[in-house]
Amino acid sequence: MLRVMTISAGIVAASVLLAAAPVAFDGVPVPQDPQRPQAEVSVILTNPGSHPKIGFQIFNASTPALTEAGTTIVDVLASDLDFEKEFYVIPRKASAAIPAASSPQTLPFPQWRDIGAEFVLMGSLRDVGGGKVEADVRLVNTKAPNEGREEFTRNYGGCTVAGIRFCAHSIADDMHKQLRNLDGVARTKLAYTTDRDGDKSVGRPIDNAAPGKEIHLMDYDGAGDQRYTNLHRLSIAPSWGPDARSLVFASYTTTPDVFLATLDGRPLTRPAQGNDSMSNTTPVLSPDGTKIAFTSSRGGTGGYYDVWVVNRDGSNPHNVTPNTERSSEGAPTWSPDGSQLAFTSDRTGTNQVFTMKADGTNVDRRTFAGKADRPTWSKLGYIAYTLERAGGHDIAVLDLARGESRVITDGIGSCRQPTVAPNGRHIAFVTTRWGGKENIATIDYPLGKEIRQVTTQGNNTYPNWSPLPSGK
Amino acid sequence: MKRLHALTLVLGMAVALTGCVKKTAATTPAPSPGLFPGSATSRTAPATVSSEVPPPPVVVPMDPTVRPVSNDPLVNTSIVDINKDSPLRPVFFAYDSDSLDEPARTTMSANAEVLRKYGTWVVTVEGHCDERGTAEYNLALGDRRAQAVKNYMVSLGIPADRLKTVSYGSEFPFVPGHDEKSWSQNRRAHFMLTAKQ
Repeated sequence: MLRVMTISAGIVAASVLLAAAPVAFDGVPVPQDPQRPQAEVSVILTNPGSHPKIGFQIFNASTPALTEAGTTIVDVLASDLDFEKEFYVIPRKASAAIPAASSPQTLPFPQWRDIGAEFVLMGSLRDVGGGKVEADVRLVNTKAPNEGREEFTRNYGGCTVAGIRFCAHSIADDMHKQLRNLDGVARTKLAYTTDRDGDKSVGRPIDNAAPGKEIHLMDYDGAGDQRYTNLHRLSIAPSWGPDARSLVFASYTTTPDVFLATLDGRPLTRPAQGNDSMSNTTPVLSPDGTKIAFTSSRGGTGGYYDVWVVNRDGSNPHNVTPNTERSSEGAPTWSPDGSQLAFTSDRTGTNQVFTMKADGTNVDRRTFAGKADRPTWSKLGYIAYTLERAGGHDIAVLDLARGESRVITDGIGSCRQPTVAPNGRHIAFVTTRWGGKENIATIDYPLGKEIRQVTTQGNNTYPNWSPLPSGK
Repeated sequence: MKRLHALTLVLGMAVALTGCVKKTAATTPAPSPGLFPGSATSRTAPATVSSEVPPPPVVVPMDPTVRPVSNDPLVNTSIVDINKDSPLRPVFFAYDSDSLDEPARTTMSANAEVLRKYGTWVVTVEGHCDERGTAEYNLALGDRRAQAVKNYMVSLGIPADRLKTVSYGSEFPFVPGHDEKSWSQNRRAHFMLTAKQ
């Protein structure tokens, strides 16, 4: 049965969102970096028997100009599917010799079954004029008695060559939703801090130790990197708002203050209203976007921070960890329903992770080993955090129901600053395992089997994973 | 009337000017006997001496564009350049500590002298950490280091409103290496001049 669902409107709307690229703070549009070369697709799957095995045929391109886009869309789609570990991706090399079919009925099914493919993903790209490309995608069953049956059929009317990766990401998210009932993260982004731009912070005493650090946004797989801030000073710790339409971050004028950006070129605002006698940093927007929790020295003695909450419009700033003059509280994260906060406190002598209600009541210690910092709360019922033991750092996850923590990274390099994907199945973090510089990587949860490098240049820190896109 | 006034003024000024310019004592010859009835008996009337007013010193108005020459080069050096090679020296810390040791206190005493000499200077004390420990922890530790230094400087008599503090945690290493030699240089409170008056 042929099911053709046209979701071209959704694609066009999403393409517009991407095409209207975030402008830098000073209003100048940010040039797109060239796309990163696609990393070798991993084919390691812990339990391949329970996941549909998919082989990939190259996309048919209606014109030679679309050939490269046809290759890219399959490469990206295969990588997106492999990332979620819901499908087993048959190695591309294994299928290279199989002749491409132009229609589902003419697929050489025996050859596909020989290499273990239960399904074949095939499709075509057609130039429809006006810079638009139509993508037709089919997932075809290879096994009797359903040989030739289409399990997934979609037509994407609003793709573009420049946005072909986004087209592939949309296909991956749709396949995960329809076939595995899963919210994929292929269209999500990471915000982070980098010194890659090479500009210097103004007025530093030593030129060679004066890195400006700017906020960048990139696709979850590292492509499409865009520089967001252009402030030539230290800007760190970005955090997304709901629908990925807002961003908060900390930036140093004299002292650090919280900045709120709406990503549409409108001026930044400073809801924490800092001045040169206080520090406001590590801000996080609540899940409903109405409040910001952050670390502040406001009203306290120097170096003893508290967690504060303020409304997005700057009203009602209040200390949610009062009466803690001799300890430091900070690095807050909201629970997925916005009713609680997790944060770091050294009130017991070393940094540990605590949770509390968002009004500051019901404070509960949650970690008890080593030193714990920078919690991030997942809707799958766990909190990831940085664990320090014997001088080394790893990412640990606390299962909230069981009250148990375990380490999920492998002790290689220094692993810190986790951020969880919105579907809870991945954690991005900072690691120094590749050449000693700080780079962002992702790891799958709960098994922690595959670490993927996402950034490759400069020092990259403070990653934050965007929410799922709206209108998915 | 006006003309008479003017004439009188001119004559008066002439007399006055004449009086100013003369350097020698003016003597008026004794009146000849017979010129003045009733004075014939006196042949040697006392000479009239007009007192000499020395001219006021010549004053050249001061050229407002000429600055007073100073022996102190810092007076004419920019803040940016002062910070590149500052008379205010940094204070260093042990790992994971905000305690001030003896060398730190010596340095701060010297810095206090500098701040007393330049009584209008305003300084920001920056707290820095080495790269170990989490970034978030280092933001707090850097703040404690800056505050410890500020508190000690205040105890030496420097007014608190001349000392701002900020923490850069481990974001701004002064030395980019990954060994104790570099780390020890990065665990510091750094004095940055932010205003000279």
